[in-house]
Amino acid sequence: MKISLTVNGQLREVEITPYTRLLDLLREDLGLTGTKEGCGKGECGACTVIMDGELVASCLVPAPQADGSEVLTIEGLGSRDNLHPIQESFVETGAVQCGFCIPGMILASKKLLDENPHPAEEEIRLGLSGNICRCTGYAKIIDAVMMAAEKMDGRESDQDG
Amino acid sequence: MKQENNQPISGTDFKNYFQPSSLKEALEIRDKYRSEVKLVAGATDIFVQYNEKLHEVENWLDISRIEDLKKIEKKEKSIFIGPLVTHLEIIKSDLINKHFSALSAAALEVGSPQIRSRGTIGGNICTSSPAGDLLPPLLAYEAKFHLSSRKKSRIVESDEFFTGPKKNILKDSELLTGIEIPISDAEVYSFWKKIGRRKALVISTLTLNLVLEFENDLIKRAGLAVGSAAPVPVRLKKIEEKMLGKKLSQLDYKKIAEEVKNRISPIDDLRGTKEYREDVAADIMVNALEKIEKERVSG
Repeated sequence: MKISLTVNGQLREVEITPYTRLLDLLREDLGLTGTKEGCGKGECGACTVIMDGELVASCLVPAPQADGSEVLTIEGLGSRDNLHPIQESFVETGAVQCGFCIPGMILASKKLLDENPHPAEEEIRLGLSGNICRCTGYAKIIDAVMMAAEKMDGRESDQDG
Repeated sequence: MKQENNQPISGTDFKNYFQPSSLKEALEIRDKYRSEVKLVAGATDIFVQYNEKLHEVENWLDISRIEDLKKIEKKEKSIFIGPLVTHLEIIKSDLINKHFSALSAAALEVGSPQIRSRGTIGGNICTSSPAGDLLPPLLAYEAKFHLSSRKKSRIVESDEFFTGPKKNILKDSELLTGIEIPISDAEVYSFWKKIGRRKALVISTLTLNLVLEFENDLIKRAGLAVGSAAPVPVRLKKIEEKMLGKKLSQLDYKKIAEEVKNRISPIDDLRGTKEYREDVAADIMVNALEKIEKERVSG
């Protein structure tokens, strides 16, 4: 069966089976390997993407349910030359060690900051509670989200002014 | 050694994934395929259950496109919740939060943001895990479940629905089509507590939900339900009855807690031992009564 969905702003058509997961579709059919598979059971958050504005574990989304949806993966957020403020902040605070969890962490951070531009530490912890990191101990990841909140605040007011 | 690959070949010949947009069509497919079809809504549980063996499922009935099953509506004396309403939508619903705050609180502690955005209340009910977090509140608020097959519809009490671990009375021709919870006009206080090994993404070691309705300081209705403490989520009606018609100050909290401990039948598993669960259930019961007492004084 064929489905079409918008991935990072581009309309894509993909041939799928009923048991293709959104994760497989992104990584294998579209080559977007920034989305990682950790546990495959929705427990680690490495496969997190934003689908129709909501945070989802792409390993638990049947591809047929993604038909007609709009998906944002880490590749759609920024580029090597033009990092998103959240990505900049993760680099600047040293919040990345092995990096495997980071695409999911950054997308969870984006979803959080879109809804709550000035989160308290406890709110950040709740927003990122579906994402597991085995390297950093989370402290610097939380610093990164706080820094990103400040940066994004500044840029938004620049635009407004 | 070469592993045999049993997966069907990719192509256009997939007739076994049904994604109807109306309940009528869904019930027809359900009726035709019965136990040969696997139901999928938010997929947060079934995709874990069939992890790495998804291809073994022959027929999928994906009900996620049925718009009629996604509504939260206020009726005259109840709130009607569509089975496809997600945990996130429950948390965001002012209507649910106003009338059934313990259900909102339970939904907020399910899984993680990634799971809450997709997992549905109907999925939580039909999966019928003894640890399903929304189930004790549904029992304590005396929810009714609307079930339909192609030919018939029936309404059942939530505490008659669950029959064993992951077992319920839903027939293989039926679908859950709605959850109806009565609204009380009395003064209602609710308590919800989940015990788990960490805050997020944890299967409950124990959950307890207490709902008390007061009229002139007297307990007019009590709803008490416990999860992860028996083969099914249980409503403790015998204990509820003992609280009726009394003032909070007339209750012996310790004695009630002891009774909770005696009336549950938890097991030892990797999330906790039987003894631990019994002790914790008793402790939370005291907390529940104390918290409601405090809220009433300040409230």
